[in-house]
Amino acid sequence: MRRLMPVFVASDGRDPVAPPPGLEAGILLRDLDLLTLVRRAGSIQAPIALDLDSVEGLNPDPTAARFVIEELGVDLVVTRRPTVALRAVELGRSALLHVLAFDSTGLARSLEGHPGTPGVGTIVSPGPVLDHLLAPDLQRLPRPLVAYGFIDTPERAAGLLRYADAVVVPPACALLMARGTLPADAGAVVGRG
Amino acid sequence: MPATDANVRAFTARLDERPCCAALVAHERLDAALASPVGIIFVLRADGLALRPLIARIHAADKLVAVHLDLIDGIRADRAGVRWLSGAGADAVISSHGQLMPAIRREGMVAIHRLLLVRRGLLEAALAATAKSGADIVEVLPGVILPEVRALMPSLRVPLLAGGFIRTEAQARAVLAAGAIGVTTSAENLWSAALR
Repeated sequence: MRRLMPVFVASDGRDPVAPPPGLEAGILLRDLDLLTLVRRAGSIQAPIALDLDSVEGLNPDPTAARFVIEELGVDLVVTRRPTVALRAVELGRSALLHVLAFDSTGLARSLEGHPGTPGVGTIVSPGPVLDHLLAPDLQRLPRPLVAYGFIDTPERAAGLLRYADAVVVPPACALLMARGTLPADAGAVVGRG
Repeated sequence: MPATDANVRAFTARLDERPCCAALVAHERLDAALASPVGIIFVLRADGLALRPLIARIHAADKLVAVHLDLIDGIRADRAGVRWLSGAGADAVISSHGQLMPAIRREGMVAIHRLLLVRRGLLEAALAATAKSGADIVEVLPGVILPEVRALMPSLRVPLLAGGFIRTEAQARAVLAAGAIGVTTSAENLWSAALR
């Protein structure tokens, strides 16, 4: 059982990536192509999350999940496909089901397909929508819960960490966060369901 | 009959009068929407093959109807589906498929293109798609975060609607203050609210 980093720094892998010193963070790779992913993954020292659906050249299916976990060392798979999330868990890693929260109806439908099993959490886009969900909606989101998208300032990130176990932020925001502090209870244990 | 400026003006005039639109996801809310003062009803979920009587009832209550092409059952989101909705009497069609906007206009309906806010890295492409589509109106989802992200968006040539997680008057007012001309919501408490 691994602890989820409270912050993931988003990266397209073009530049060498590492969390800023002083910030307990992982790296979320997204919007890159397969060759760049293969080149970059081995050089990252921090825990790696991967937005599997955004990798050009990779079909985001269970075979791809096995490849990125076993060959590239990805720790956390972000996917919109429940079968892929479950495959990641079978392989001993964790997954976050990517839920696009555009309205309450869409959110409910997305959650119908959530496996809800230990090891599969939820990553919600856009992140700031968590501020506007009713308590019952928040409680229905399987944990750990990660906010992803449109989180550009440390204040916004800290605000969302009231609801979420982790946030995904751009490098510039991570740098600013490294100079500040996070809530004491930020972070969560992956795999608690 | 191609959509004209008059069609769009008639639609936006309703929004000027009552910026809140009722979003229906189930038939049982129809009576409440019809009894409310909203000027436009958005049909998000319904049997797309049996829309005509539903639309007739809404028109009989002197309200306009916008139908969500991507979400209704039984209709494919393509040009033939657009023609079907035109035949059923829809005044406007909502879709995330930008390439269908010209077809919607050609059928004389107001074309509403959904702009989905996922994350900042995808915003530019989404904005480009809406600009290219030739839509009459852009609907931003989730609308409740429009006040937060409006500064990231350039001025659009077309009016903005906002829908998604708008449940309170304060949220609706904030969205209107951020530049939307109307909000779509399934929250009945807002259907009668005086937002301007």
